[in-house]
Amino acid sequence: MKKFENKETGILSRSDLSNVSGQMLYWFFFIVLALVCVVAVVPALWTLLTAFKDTQEIYASFSFLPSDMSWHRITSRLSESWAALQLGDSFINTIILSIGSLVFKITICGLGGYVLSRLKPRGAGLVFALVVWTMMMPVQIRIVPTYMSFLHFPFASDNMGGVSLLDTYWPMWLNACADTFAVLLFKNNFDAIPISYIESAKLDGCGNIRAFFKIVLPLSMPIVIFESINTLSQAWSAFFTPLLVLDKRMVLPLKIYRLSMDPNIRMNTYFMGLIFASLPPLLIFIIFQRRIMGGINVGGVKG
Amino acid sequence: MKKITKNHSGKKGRGRLRRLRNDFDAWILLLPLVIILYIMVWRPTVLGAVWSFFKMNAYTPVKFTGLDNYVRVLTHTQFLPTLINTGWYVFWSLVIGFIPPVIIAVMLNELVHFKKTFRILSYIPAVIPGIAGMLMWYYIYYPGNMGLLNMVLTKLNLPQFEWLQNPKFTIIGIVIYKTWKGFPGAVLLYYAAVQSVSVELYEAALIDGAGPIKRAWHVTRPALEGMLLLNLVRQIISVFQTLDEPLAMTGGGPNNASNTLSFQLYQYGFNSGGRATGQAMALGVIIFLILIVFTLFYFILNKKVEDRY
Repeated sequence: MKKFENKETGILSRSDLSNVSGQMLYWFFFIVLALVCVVAVVPALWTLLTAFKDTQEIYASFSFLPSDMSWHRITSRLSESWAALQLGDSFINTIILSIGSLVFKITICGLGGYVLSRLKPRGAGLVFALVVWTMMMPVQIRIVPTYMSFLHFPFASDNMGGVSLLDTYWPMWLNACADTFAVLLFKNNFDAIPISYIESAKLDGCGNIRAFFKIVLPLSMPIVIFESINTLSQAWSAFFTPLLVLDKRMVLPLKIYRLSMDPNIRMNTYFMGLIFASLPPLLIFIIFQRRIMGGINVGGVKG
Repeated sequence: MKKITKNHSGKKGRGRLRRLRNDFDAWILLLPLVIILYIMVWRPTVLGAVWSFFKMNAYTPVKFTGLDNYVRVLTHTQFLPTLINTGWYVFWSLVIGFIPPVIIAVMLNELVHFKKTFRILSYIPAVIPGIAGMLMWYYIYYPGNMGLLNMVLTKLNLPQFEWLQNPKFTIIGIVIYKTWKGFPGAVLLYYAAVQSVSVELYEAALIDGAGPIKRAWHVTRPALEGMLLLNLVRQIISVFQTLDEPLAMTGGGPNNASNTLSFQLYQYGFNSGGRATGQAMALGVIIFLILIVFTLFYFILNKKVEDRY
């Protein structure tokens, strides 16, 4: 085995792999990991295959594969399901939700991190301490009061008036911005930018905002991309806040939750809905797979 | 003399003015974040504590009632069983889900065939949106012929099982889903740590005659210990807050067997016709107090681990 010969010494070394017991240990690892992959993939795969079965077939057959897998059958199941589920609006809503979250979060948390890292006005130390403390606050205590703020925004109870944010995307956008973890991540990364870059930009007449968008953000692209991917996948799986505040403008996770209680949707069609809802995040993963699987060191967030 | 002082103070004044201007500019940029954190986190946290002592009319505080909400929450017949249930979630998630990610990460690091394929495939659960994953597993556990698990049982000529409908299995079932959903992220973390162990250490151990198991114990384990300890506390904290899964998969049933404190809070706050909002906030404070102990512990631990490396 040529691959064994180039193996770096780890728990298994080249000399281990040249005898039978070492090789058996290696192939044991291999089989365990193969089983892990099977377990990881099977739920989605089963959902996908069941989506192509007939309704009767779902209840009667005990086969993993659908009986009819012709091209015609696949396309007709796809178009039928898409027509029955009517996910178009939810897709558009979720796109709006995710892009809004992305823009607001990068701008507001990024600017916050920039000020705390580089400008440090008087009082920034206090804000920084509060941000760190906020990170450790359990959310349960504020679930109901936050909902009350959404009812009479920006006030918290109804004797002062205010606007209702129900059925808007603002609650989720605000939630995305109130991400103290992201603020600290940005701050720590901006700390590493040489101060001379920013100072020379300021000597050239750049204001703070221009310096941030033209110098600081482009120099921190890995972290910006990392946070963007995070924010997008969070937005595509946001469930709890939308459940509380959205009714007419449904986003995708909420829509498929509601559809699961809809008696008019047949089982195979519903399964296709689960697949449709998983596709956008899967696409993000495939595109940015390298960034997600490694590359960035986010373990270094310190309070 | 007068002139000099004047000059001096003028210079100083200009410097202070510039500093003030800079501070002002900086604060303008910081303000959106501070306002949002105030509205979304700081104020609701304080108000949640304050209003837990108030009688609520739907979402309006009416009058101060002292400990009334707390008494109602704590004397509710379901409080203790729900607290114990939440403990079972934590227990099972540690039994089922704590060790496998470490082992997977260590094994993955040894692989020379299809390493990348394995890493990508095993990451898929983390990519699927939470609610879609929950509903997929809901149907995997579906009682009757349709569920995947019962399909398999029937093929093996075994009797079918009611899975999530079984009060003894329901928490374990949800924890299995949570483990499936969460392990790729944990593997990613551990994998980075395993990779950072230098090859020289292994080679030195090899020269000393250490076999694979000894090397794993004496070289790999020390590199992971700190992270393991931190993840243990983090997992306890996060599983203690389980809410979405009972909400979407079981509705807290059968017979409250899968109820958690957080799901009970949701029921009080949003499913009681507005009659138990105060109790929701009182329960929020109770959960807060339990969790803050673990969180403080986590931060102390974090400092210790960081000091060691």
